[in-house]
Amino acid sequence: MISLLGIYRPRNTPLHKSSVGFKLMLMLTATVFVIVVDDPVTACGIAAACLLLLLSTAPPAKATLRGLALIAIMAGVTVIFQVWREEYAKAIDTAADIIAISALALAVTSSTPMEEVLDAISKLARPVRRLLPPETIGLMFAMTLRAIPEAARLLIEARTAARARGLDHSPRAILIPAATRSVGFALQLGQALHARGIAEEAPPERRPSPPPKAVSNPEGSSRRSRRRDNLDS
Amino acid sequence: MIEFMGAAVIAPDSGVPILDATTLTLEEDRISIIGANGSGKSTLARLINGLVLPVEGKVLVDGLDTVKHGAQVRRKVGYLFTDPSAQLIMPTAIEDVTLSLRRIIDDRKERNAAAMAALEEIGLGDKADVSVNALSGGQRQLLALAGVLAVTPSIIVADEPTTLLDLRWRAHVGALLRALPVQLIEVTHDLDAASRADRTLLVDRGAVVYDGDPREAIAMYRDLMFGRARDTTE
Repeated sequence: MISLLGIYRPRNTPLHKSSVGFKLMLMLTATVFVIVVDDPVTACGIAAACLLLLLSTAPPAKATLRGLALIAIMAGVTVIFQVWREEYAKAIDTAADIIAISALALAVTSSTPMEEVLDAISKLARPVRRLLPPETIGLMFAMTLRAIPEAARLLIEARTAARARGLDHSPRAILIPAATRSVGFALQLGQALHARGIAEEAPPERRPSPPPKAVSNPEGSSRRSRRRDNLDS
Repeated sequence: MIEFMGAAVIAPDSGVPILDATTLTLEEDRISIIGANGSGKSTLARLINGLVLPVEGKVLVDGLDTVKHGAQVRRKVGYLFTDPSAQLIMPTAIEDVTLSLRRIIDDRKERNAAAMAALEEIGLGDKADVSVNALSGGQRQLLALAGVLAVTPSIIVADEPTTLLDLRWRAHVGALLRALPVQLIEVTHDLDAASRADRTLLVDRGAVVYDGDPREAIAMYRDLMFGRARDTTE
């Protein structure tokens, strides 16, 4: 269900009609503002406004409520920490900031097609085109968003597997497989991009050659005893 | 036309050979590659679109070297992975197909129309705005195929495209692939699918040990595998 959170759906709301530049600027301004302002009342006001803005995009109710519940849990943890340090005003301010930024991010992503986001980011990244192609920067952004539900799925699967082995209270049994599988997913995604020729501007470089003695079996002998790396899926 | 000219692959870190020097010319419309897990068949397939580069020799696709002209080769050769989830990058079906089209169509409206046409052609027209995570395994494989077909490749390499699918989707995706008007090179464990090819390559322990008639290749593969299973049991 988390995979449906923040996904673009064509609608006719004011935020859908706004330009992607305006929305990104709104996000940037609001984020800077909530970080700079330390007043809990103002923070709560901004959080309420952001939640209303999210509501105005008519997002899917169930997925959004679940997602917001997770964000509320995260905010709750910071509240507990700040209350423990007896910083009550800061506790409210931080929790409201987390909710505000998350809600605004969801409002923007659910009202903007990824194509438009890619174009906008590619345009914004033009000044650094000598360092990295703008298209690649846009793609990195898209892939980051794509990786969030995938990471959540891998974490859920790792937890289920740990539970099946009676290791449900072992963080190591959950986090290590989830982390290694995330790396595996990233590698697969990289290969898929390469295979689809996406963001490809220059021919690939040839791999460094290992010692030539290793390839010396033109007849395909079955006598080889060294274990071969399994590249088959 | 695909030409392997003494192409060999070695694991970069360990120096272990993965594919021995291979010389082949692939011209038939339907070619299947069979072999045990870890035999090197996926490596052979990946050489065709430059996902893996040969350490020795070369691979040419319509005369283009996969090392020197990788980007052009990948425009000719579409690649379909076993797990479509890894191939889908964007959040919704239509956005994923338009991503493939970004490098060939500049105008956004035109790109969207072409993506929609590709989805409709493959029977996913009603899923355009659906999250890729909300699609079934079979629908995801179809979407991955739509993303590949949208850029009109002349060759498709499919690496066990139906392995993760149930029987219904296996039949559907298999039939769709067979009907494509392109050269199809399919790595498969499905011996029925392999038998329908014009030519079959049997890969074993990093070498093409048989190249020719699908039935003979399958019979040889069975002998090899059952022989090894007997040796393991004894």
